[in-house]
Amino acid sequence: MNFIKRHLKTWLLWELVIGLSLTGRYLFKKKITVEYPEERTPLSPRFRGLHALRRYESGEERCIACKLCEVTCPALAITIESEERADGSRRTTRYDIDMTKCIFCGFCQEACPVDAIVETQEFEYASETRAALYYTKDMLLNVGDRYEPQIAANLAADARYQ
Amino acid sequence: MTVLYINDEEVTVPAGTSILEACRENNVEVPYFCYHPELSVAANCRMCLVEVEGWNKPAASCCTPVSEGMKVVTQSAGLEKDRSMMMEYLLIHHPLDCPVCDQGGACKLQDYAVEHGVGRGRYTEVKRLPSDKDLGPFVNTCMTRCIHCTRCVRFADEIAGTGDMGVLNRGDHMKIDGIVEDALASELSGNLGDICPVGALLDKPSHDVSRPWEMTRHKSTCTACPQGCDIVIESRADEVMRIRPLKGGVEPWICDRGRYVYDAFRSDKRILSPMLRVGDKLEKASWDDAIEKAVTMLKGKRVGIVFSPDWSVEGLAAIRLLHDIGLENPKVAFDLHRRDSRPFAFDEGLTMTTESMEQVDQVVILGSDLRQRFPILMQRLRKRANLGKPVTRIGAMHYRTNSEIANDALVRPRDWYAVIARAMDQLKVLGKTAAGMDEWMGKVEARHEAGKLLADALLADTCALLVGEEIRSHEDAAALIHGLDLLMRAAGHAEEGQDGRNLLPSGMNAQLLSAMFNGTRTAAGEVFAAAIAGELDTLLLIGSDPIGDGLFSRKAKEALAKVDLLQVGSISGDMVGLADIKLPAAAYSEIEGTFINMEGRVRVAENPLRSLGEGRPLWKVMMRLIQALGHDVPAVNLTEMREHVLTMAPDFTALKDIWFAGKAQEDFIPAQRNRKNVFLPNVAKMNAAKGLDVVGRYSMYKEGAWVRASKLLAEAGRIHALDDVIVHPDTLAEMKLQAGDLTIMSNVGAERFTVGTRTDVSPGVVFVSKRGTAGDISGETSVDLGGGQ
Repeated sequence: MNFIKRHLKTWLLWELVIGLSLTGRYLFKKKITVEYPEERTPLSPRFRGLHALRRYESGEERCIACKLCEVTCPALAITIESEERADGSRRTTRYDIDMTKCIFCGFCQEACPVDAIVETQEFEYASETRAALYYTKDMLLNVGDRYEPQIAANLAADARYQ
Repeated sequence: MTVLYINDEEVTVPAGTSILEACRENNVEVPYFCYHPELSVAANCRMCLVEVEGWNKPAASCCTPVSEGMKVVTQSAGLEKDRSMMMEYLLIHHPLDCPVCDQGGACKLQDYAVEHGVGRGRYTEVKRLPSDKDLGPFVNTCMTRCIHCTRCVRFADEIAGTGDMGVLNRGDHMKIDGIVEDALASELSGNLGDICPVGALLDKPSHDVSRPWEMTRHKSTCTACPQGCDIVIESRADEVMRIRPLKGGVEPWICDRGRYVYDAFRSDKRILSPMLRVGDKLEKASWDDAIEKAVTMLKGKRVGIVFSPDWSVEGLAAIRLLHDIGLENPKVAFDLHRRDSRPFAFDEGLTMTTESMEQVDQVVILGSDLRQRFPILMQRLRKRANLGKPVTRIGAMHYRTNSEIANDALVRPRDWYAVIARAMDQLKVLGKTAAGMDEWMGKVEARHEAGKLLADALLADTCALLVGEEIRSHEDAAALIHGLDLLMRAAGHAEEGQDGRNLLPSGMNAQLLSAMFNGTRTAAGEVFAAAIAGELDTLLLIGSDPIGDGLFSRKAKEALAKVDLLQVGSISGDMVGLADIKLPAAAYSEIEGTFINMEGRVRVAENPLRSLGEGRPLWKVMMRLIQALGHDVPAVNLTEMREHVLTMAPDFTALKDIWFAGKAQEDFIPAQRNRKNVFLPNVAKMNAAKGLDVVGRYSMYKEGAWVRASKLLAEAGRIHALDDVIVHPDTLAEMKLQAGDLTIMSNVGAERFTVGTRTDVSPGVVFVSKRGTAGDISGETSVDLGGGQ
């Protein structure tokens, strides 16, 4: 019996039929690929993209140079130097993230006690040189300024799960 | 001994120990804030509560002594509740600013809040907001973080002895305050940042710059004074952030001088690459070019070497090798504070440890500003005085101390003969004498009453003599020290085991240098004099700064202008624009090396910082010079270098044991004692001197090339400035002069300076601050004062 079954399957190309039928089914199914960059997939509010340094509404930078992000970074991508500013507050003089090292684990934003360093939904920051992927404090603050509405919306959306 | 049970385990501790100490000794964890092993017990944090069986309430373990058969429980549900309540109470007013607090990550309050805290405060009322205090350049305050453990107050009272911290008000209004003008008066103020268990008092220079977890720790030895304290250098990416005392080291504290000298490591005065003179300017050069040029300055030339004693043992041995192999009969000197290079009857170095000085019946300080020069040793004497044991002091000034001095007498440097002779008289009457004493006494006619204090102290069962710079720098020091040696022999304090003859050195490694350069050394003044007389072609300065330090600045300036100068070192010092070649040698923090402190303790640094610039360990630089001078290199690695040290100083078996037998660094190097040379007083010379004796005054914030390059210490030096020139008002009255602008006539001419008066100096003495306007005069031995124009 088995012998007959096996020969039938072999000579009738049964496996091929199964395979082609799967292909056929997907041929007529609704498409899920998107025509990037014209079309885009939705992103989670927790998406971990390019980093940004945020400011308070007053324009004061949030970062207090506690260096918790630096110490928690598993890829050692963050470099911070700090000093006491003239008004007595503790501030960074240098805040660099090497995006070529970063593994986008999100530990930095989780460690941050003041929500200063966050990861935006921006992921299109490819560059032609490695040097351009070395983000300094000014660049990160710029990113923050540009994406603040988006960052605030994402934080608000995720707030109830925090 | 008392036997008790801690958590059902039997432990034995000395009677009178507190429960907390018993727990600490047996590695049982009990949380505490206010307790500190070096301070008195305050018992005000209530964190160290433990349960004792049979007692109806928890006991504060820091202030409860153990008793026989006591059963102590350190962990229980009840205690955990007590501790969490204590934590909630302590955290009521504590701000939630751990991320910006430098203590964060190394904070007891943080640790205990995690371990015992409740996580949520119930306090919703107004928080206290005490204002911050300005405690000077070294201590940063953030008083909202204070938990009132009063460690700082007890430190200021008990350790620093300045009492300039205090507690005001009570209850909710309680606050810690400093009674401070510009800065805390203590030379130990840096320790406040270390003892504060929270972030209320922090180290100011490193404030807001780094976090505890970023630091790499390097065990090292401080070379800022011959005390050679055990330190930990904390660095971040090769930059030194802090220096702290080593936990478990010999001394629990370090002084501000040793702590903040690190500012000099990054100063622009560092020599970081070989430099060659091109025209009027020094320019960077390669090692090869610089060595080649150096050889032309050394080969076949008449060379004078002046080096600093603060190099490592290996470096000093390499200097000796260069002296022996590389050069032809160079003149060599290393002590810029010693006029008399004859061998002393007991040479530099202590026979006792600083701990054992707490035990002896009598301590006599002879001519030393101990608090400025050896703050940590002074701290030991203060501890001793607090126990009611007397300290006798004889010197040219009632130097300000933080300790009680039982007997204090003023003498001029020229009176030392008479003081010693007076003490000899008294011992002789009591039938105590030593061979040669009569001969010594016979040379001195005068007697000074201060000698009675000395003799009285010597009659105690055990007595430690601390011979300071006023005698060591004396023109006739060898005779004075011979006299003191005779005195100590006569009084029976020279025997093995209770030898109390301590000569305070001016630099590290004194015992080694005394053995290694005995017979070859000359006084630094002679080297400069030879250079001025045209008997030398080249001066080789190895880490030494004769213009900035010591007694010979005036001569050194003149000498350096005349001869070629080859400078090897880590830091330029005050010789700006004088050197023809500079070769960089690694600083003490940057080398693997061995150091011997004044007690003879040996410390081997094994984990150095990376050398900045092109600096190499000194012994390598010396070997390179020997090779370039056309000789075989005697040592190519540290082990071979160390073997050379042992050939040069075969008696120093402790070094051999530590280096090659892997013994712990506990053995002592003995100081040179019982030399047979006899030196008798040269009273005639003293009598021929000018009218007033000169004593140079030393400021711990200004002496030493490293210290001067530290901006932090310069600030402290500005705050704790010393008077430029002072004399006793009676001296002026006798000469019918008024304080103000007066002419000082010395061997080198007459100059006008502003002269002030103070009553705590000896009449007949002019005190000159080494780094003040009249600094050059401080190298003279005697001067005359004259009126206005």
